[in-house]
Amino acid sequence: MLMRRWTFPFIIISLVMLPGCWSRKELNELAIVMALGVDLHEKGFMVSAQVMNSGSIGTQKENTFGSLPVVTYKATGATVPDALQRMLSSAPRVMYLSHIRVLVLGEDLARKGISDVLDFAARNHQLRDDFFLLVAKDSTAEEILEIITPFEHIPASSIYSSIMVANKKWAATGRVTLKKFITELERGGSNPILSGVQMRGNVQTGTTVKNIQSTAPKTLLHHAGIAVFKRDRLVGWLNESSSKAVNYLLNDVDSTVGNIPCPGAEGSIGYTIYGANSKYGVKLNGAGKPEFSVQMKIEANISAVQCTIDLSKASNMEEIGHALEDKFNTNLPKHVKEVQKQYGADIFGFGEELHRKYPEVWKKYRENWDETFKTSPVSVNTEVHMRRVGSVVQPLERQMEEK
Amino acid sequence: MTDKNATELQQGELPLTLPLFMEQMQARFGSSCDLIYRRLRLGAYQAVILYIEGLSDPRYLIEAIHDDNFLYENMEGGNPAACLQLLFERTIALGKVEFIHRYEKLEAELLCGNAILYIEGASYALFVGAASLKQRAVQEATSQSVVRGPREGFTESLQENTALVRRRIHNTKLRNEHKTLGEQTNTCISVMYMEGIVDEKVLAELRRRLDTLNLESVLESNYIEEMIQDKRYSPFPTVYNTERPDVVASALLEGRIAILVEGTPFVLIVPALFAQFFQSSEDYYQRGDFASLVRLLRYVCFLVSLLTPSFYIAITTFHQEMIPTNLLVSLIGQREGIPFPAFIEAMIMEVTFEILREAGIRLPKSIGQSVSIVGTLVIGQAAVEAGLVSAAMVIVVSITAISNFALPSFNIGISVRMLRFLIMGVAASFGLYGIIIAMIMIAMHLCSLQSLGVPYMTSMAPMKWQSQKDTFLRLSRRTVKKYFSRG
Repeated sequence: MLMRRWTFPFIIISLVMLPGCWSRKELNELAIVMALGVDLHEKGFMVSAQVMNSGSIGTQKENTFGSLPVVTYKATGATVPDALQRMLSSAPRVMYLSHIRVLVLGEDLARKGISDVLDFAARNHQLRDDFFLLVAKDSTAEEILEIITPFEHIPASSIYSSIMVANKKWAATGRVTLKKFITELERGGSNPILSGVQMRGNVQTGTTVKNIQSTAPKTLLHHAGIAVFKRDRLVGWLNESSSKAVNYLLNDVDSTVGNIPCPGAEGSIGYTIYGANSKYGVKLNGAGKPEFSVQMKIEANISAVQCTIDLSKASNMEEIGHALEDKFNTNLPKHVKEVQKQYGADIFGFGEELHRKYPEVWKKYRENWDETFKTSPVSVNTEVHMRRVGSVVQPLERQMEEK
Repeated sequence: MTDKNATELQQGELPLTLPLFMEQMQARFGSSCDLIYRRLRLGAYQAVILYIEGLSDPRYLIEAIHDDNFLYENMEGGNPAACLQLLFERTIALGKVEFIHRYEKLEAELLCGNAILYIEGASYALFVGAASLKQRAVQEATSQSVVRGPREGFTESLQENTALVRRRIHNTKLRNEHKTLGEQTNTCISVMYMEGIVDEKVLAELRRRLDTLNLESVLESNYIEEMIQDKRYSPFPTVYNTERPDVVASALLEGRIAILVEGTPFVLIVPALFAQFFQSSEDYYQRGDFASLVRLLRYVCFLVSLLTPSFYIAITTFHQEMIPTNLLVSLIGQREGIPFPAFIEAMIMEVTFEILREAGIRLPKSIGQSVSIVGTLVIGQAAVEAGLVSAAMVIVVSITAISNFALPSFNIGISVRMLRFLIMGVAASFGLYGIIIAMIMIAMHLCSLQSLGVPYMTSMAPMKWQSQKDTFLRLSRRTVKKYFSRG
């Protein structure tokens, strides 16, 4: 009876004494890695880590050293974890990878193939799968990570926020997380895309605080369009309008801005898209080959009028809508053809659509889908609704002329 | 009046001569200087009035028998029984008059403040209710105050307290049973319940427990509370105590039993359920929707007060990936240069707060309250500036302490305070997993607890639709009538 009563407290006490606080990591023993960059190196990989410098972020004391909020550590290794551990020879704390915002891949590495890096990223238990992947255009990832940015203390946060904003409001860049990339890579019938980042200015002026101490920073990071991948290799870059087209087709446009020539007058009209929806359809033609059609539904507002059109007439609004529809119906297939011809990579997911609708037909084409895709016709049918005109109705040019 | 009645009563054990009686009394009471012997002559008889100065005021008794010429004319002498009978029936026109035959009753009545009238030659005496105790007036109940509602609080006198309850329930079904507990102190207690509403099994159990109590002294209701609660070494209270008569009245109407103890304004209410400690009488005096929100807030405060420091310790020590990155940046900045691990920091701050709180009780009322909370914040701020603790820790501790004050009943507050330290230790060793395990164990413990045979978590687990009208929400009476049928 005595033993029974004391068994339980004994177990508790021994649990506290023996394993104790196993796997305990105090906050001030961690080096939080905010961004990782991987480049190609002759020995394998060159990994650079942007680590948060906690001493200078601290709200406790004044920043007496004047040090920067981040530090970059670099190391090389045959595998990525090899390089990360080698970094410990210069870093004072163990790297903690859970809070990575963005993983930047050098362009050389991307052209060679990134599946090895992604294997490490997926396998590591600390890394989440929702951080963004970027390809550094015309530079190495190392250089990108060294740039100090305005607004945010930590450059990685700045890159992170700018990806979100650029994708949401401008739609000329992608927003690809690790999970999305791996899903698209592993499924048959589509090729993944990645977003690109580019440095404007040069790297020497960008790595010191002086960069943000002037109103016009000399070096800025900027998002450079979509990178086309075939499997896990980078094959090419898309320019701004092609990137937008890709995003429209992939149903990844939240809001963006564009302009069309004014119908019936000289000048142009600027519109803001605030809702776009795309739906794929596939039909088999007479020879049993697939033909793709895309149904787009677009809602737009007028944001700038640079001509003398009379906006009080509803028929004019409809004309603008029709003009916009025509624009989409011609431009989108044009961009698709470009991608088909130049890269032959199905980054739009048409193969997937074929797989869903006609699985038996898909079985015939799945081995060489990219070849077949090069010649598949794609048609786009858009439905545009022009909704609002803003706070004033008649354009100023018109008002001027009438007076 | 007849001799036959007088002879029937003649069974007393008091001595028949005055000197013997006085000797007996001296032997029993020692030479306490506040026991007054007032010798008188009633006609032909020698008599003595005994009373304890300070407890009783036999003025009316003495006046009543002193001036009665009718009495003396009818006294023949030689028949003390008849004299007592006459006094009993005709002369002493006071409230409570009875015959006493035994010494224990005589002592008990004397000590309760009544006066004894002994006539030489009779083996029994009369006691007359003449208690006149100085007591505190009915004041506001300080431990449980409300914005709207009655402000009366119990006093230390049992009679006054039972009267306060009676005034609220004008019903013959309200019963009041008297007991005397405590071998040395012989404290009077009163058990009140509503016949017909109360659960007979619970009542029988309570009576059994009170009768088998083996206490030396009963100075406060806690002495009884500790002994009648179910035998589990549980940090949670199974007996509710209150200082307000309206709370007692509503508990009686719900079928509970109240135990009033002489000498303390705190009345025990059994059986007590977990949900009860989150109810305040103010819930019923304000609007239903507001009261429901406040009640939900109290449950939230319970969890906050119990778990906040543990969550902070567990997440910053083991689960840093759960913290949003911006918050992590800020936390790391704060923890730079702090010499202690999170657990030690938390312990230091919590213990400091408990010290301040305990000290604040004994400070003069005007500065006591402010010292305990504001003092901790000031000390916390100084510690932050000295680099001993991080600023986030001060906030965590303050929120915890303030939530503790939001709980309406003090006893659940102390349970939370004790458990908090335990869970902090578990969190420091095992992280979030440990916290979950600890909460599961607490929940299991709560579900197995009983208050006088009634399961402690009655209206919460098993969760029944019928019981929800007063657990987490306080539904208005109209809603209750409409949607809940009365069983």
